[in-house]
Amino acid sequence: MNGAVIGHLILKDWRINRLLISLTLGAGIVALAIALYGRGTARLVGSVWFFVALCILGSMLPVSAIINERKKQTLAFIMSLPVSSVQYSIAKIVSIWAMFLVPWLTLLISALILVETGHIAPRGVIPTLVIVAVLPLIGFCLISSAALAGESEGWLIAASVACNSSYWLAWYLLASLPSLTENWTAPAAVWNPAAVTILLGEFGSIALILALTLFIQSRKRDFI
Amino acid sequence: MTDLAVELRGVSKKYRYFTLDNMHLELPRGQIMGLIGANGAGKSTTIRILMGLVHQDSGVARVLGRNMPSEQVAAKWDIGFASEDMRLYESMTLGWHMDFIRSIYPTWDGAYAQLLLKRFGLRAEQKIKGLSHGQRVKSALLLVLARKPKLLVLDEPTTGLDPVARHEILRELTNVMADEERSVLFSSHNTQDVEQISDQITFIDRGRIIDSMDKETYLDRWRRLRLEVPRGVELPALPGIIGVQREGRLAVATSNAFAPDLASAYESSGARVQRIENMTLEEIFVANVEHSREEVEA
Amino acid sequence: MYLQIMERIKQRIAAGNWVDGQPIPSIRQLAVDLQVSVITVKRAYYELEREGVIITQPGKGSRVSSTPGLGARLREQELRAHLEQAARIAAEMGIPLDELEDRLRQAGDRVAQKEEELI
Repeated sequence: MNGAVIGHLILKDWRINRLLISLTLGAGIVALAIALYGRGTARLVGSVWFFVALCILGSMLPVSAIINERKKQTLAFIMSLPVSSVQYSIAKIVSIWAMFLVPWLTLLISALILVETGHIAPRGVIPTLVIVAVLPLIGFCLISSAALAGESEGWLIAASVACNSSYWLAWYLLASLPSLTENWTAPAAVWNPAAVTILLGEFGSIALILALTLFIQSRKRDFI
Repeated sequence: MTDLAVELRGVSKKYRYFTLDNMHLELPRGQIMGLIGANGAGKSTTIRILMGLVHQDSGVARVLGRNMPSEQVAAKWDIGFASEDMRLYESMTLGWHMDFIRSIYPTWDGAYAQLLLKRFGLRAEQKIKGLSHGQRVKSALLLVLARKPKLLVLDEPTTGLDPVARHEILRELTNVMADEERSVLFSSHNTQDVEQISDQITFIDRGRIIDSMDKETYLDRWRRLRLEVPRGVELPALPGIIGVQREGRLAVATSNAFAPDLASAYESSGARVQRIENMTLEEIFVANVEHSREEVEA
Repeated sequence: MYLQIMERIKQRIAAGNWVDGQPIPSIRQLAVDLQVSVITVKRAYYELEREGVIITQPGKGSRVSSTPGLGARLREQELRAHLEQAARIAAEMGIPLDELEDRLRQAGDRVAQKEEELI
């Protein structure tokens, strides 16, 4: 019944963060263009630059959309509308995920294009590439959920630190799995059971984090 | 359908340094209730419980017949809430906020909204961050008034406003009264406002409700008796007198349950009753709080 | 507070703004007009009805009582209250009644003088 109100809240978030979103979109388009039409080192440089921009935006968006709502005290205004704390959380999650998926998908697509047409690596790396690309997605999920459920910057910082310092560990673990590395030199992408399992595990953990977040939000007794 | 717009029964909420204790409150439909209390007395917490923003530890809170917080979504369709610590989006205009609310609530009255813009001296094109404090308060109230909700819950609606703005707001609140289906609950530590427009008054102090009843009956119970006490006369302790202040031969007795035989009791003890005065709500507020704190400490 | 409202209504009747038998605003309407609470007006109407100044009929609203000379009677009450007040203050100040009489005469002269100046 309340889909309409949730929809309005999502649109509201996009309207308020219009600037940040357009910057992200712009950066994404530029990066895509570099990936498609760039040559040589410019191509690689452009993509790396984009990855850095993505990490910055990844931590700015949850702050802007979630923490500021609480800090700038607009949360009371929103909660005076006919929404529950769970519905509010769902709206928040949908709107910031939509915001984050824009650069993330652009990055993934750029990277896949680079592999396909740029001949920088054999197609065999594609499964590992996708798995590695989902890592910041999990990171974003953790950080934004911590910001939403934790209600303070302390949780946000803790989650950010935890994630950003765990990426290298994840890469190291992935690189030490023969079931993944053995196919890197293959001419075509090989989705063996190991790769599929890992990927499913990644999506599973995202779902788990979101479910846990919504559960925590529903149990809060002092929402404001 | 219930006859009460707001109902609290045995509501309690415990915080680390503060407890709301066993609150009972009733506001019939079509009336205005003023919540008075010192800062930190518990007005805001009570209001948040009514809005379902805070869950009570025990007790029943019912607004427009709906249980809070479990039915808060349904209830909030008909409630307009504005609080002193609520903020609008700084980077957006007032007009954007009006469109936002209008897109959600079907009861938005565009013509009334335009009228309020004029009455409050606001312009829709202005961004919130460019507004003064008084204008922001008026903006938030406009958003809530133009929807014509069945119940208005306002936390300190006139605090920090200049006299002109206060007058504008009180005028709109009394206009709400013209519809006997609509009710208002507001908190204030401005006793003048409460005295002027409230039908019911509730006093809160330190997490407890000290008094809650209709305003005229309440005002009628309180009197100041100015006495002249000749030397050698002992003033008797009388029921219904909560405090006596002495200044040499003069004494001022404050009563919260006045009856004419109080005056005669003093007269028969030898004191002379110079004058019996009604008290303003502000005087009652101060006397009440001091008295209830003495009682607790005793 | 309701006493103030009662006073204002009585003044209107005494001044002839509201004549005998004239319907007066409903409680709620007057409350909105004067920007006071409904309960204050309710109490005022109740007391005024007890004093016989207004009559309320269920379903028909309220109107000024059609007793003849109501306006004059209210004026009379007002005068008595003022005189008693003057007598009380004089007593407190220790002024004897015949001095009070002189003072009243002087006051009457002053009022008549001001009226002449206005014309």
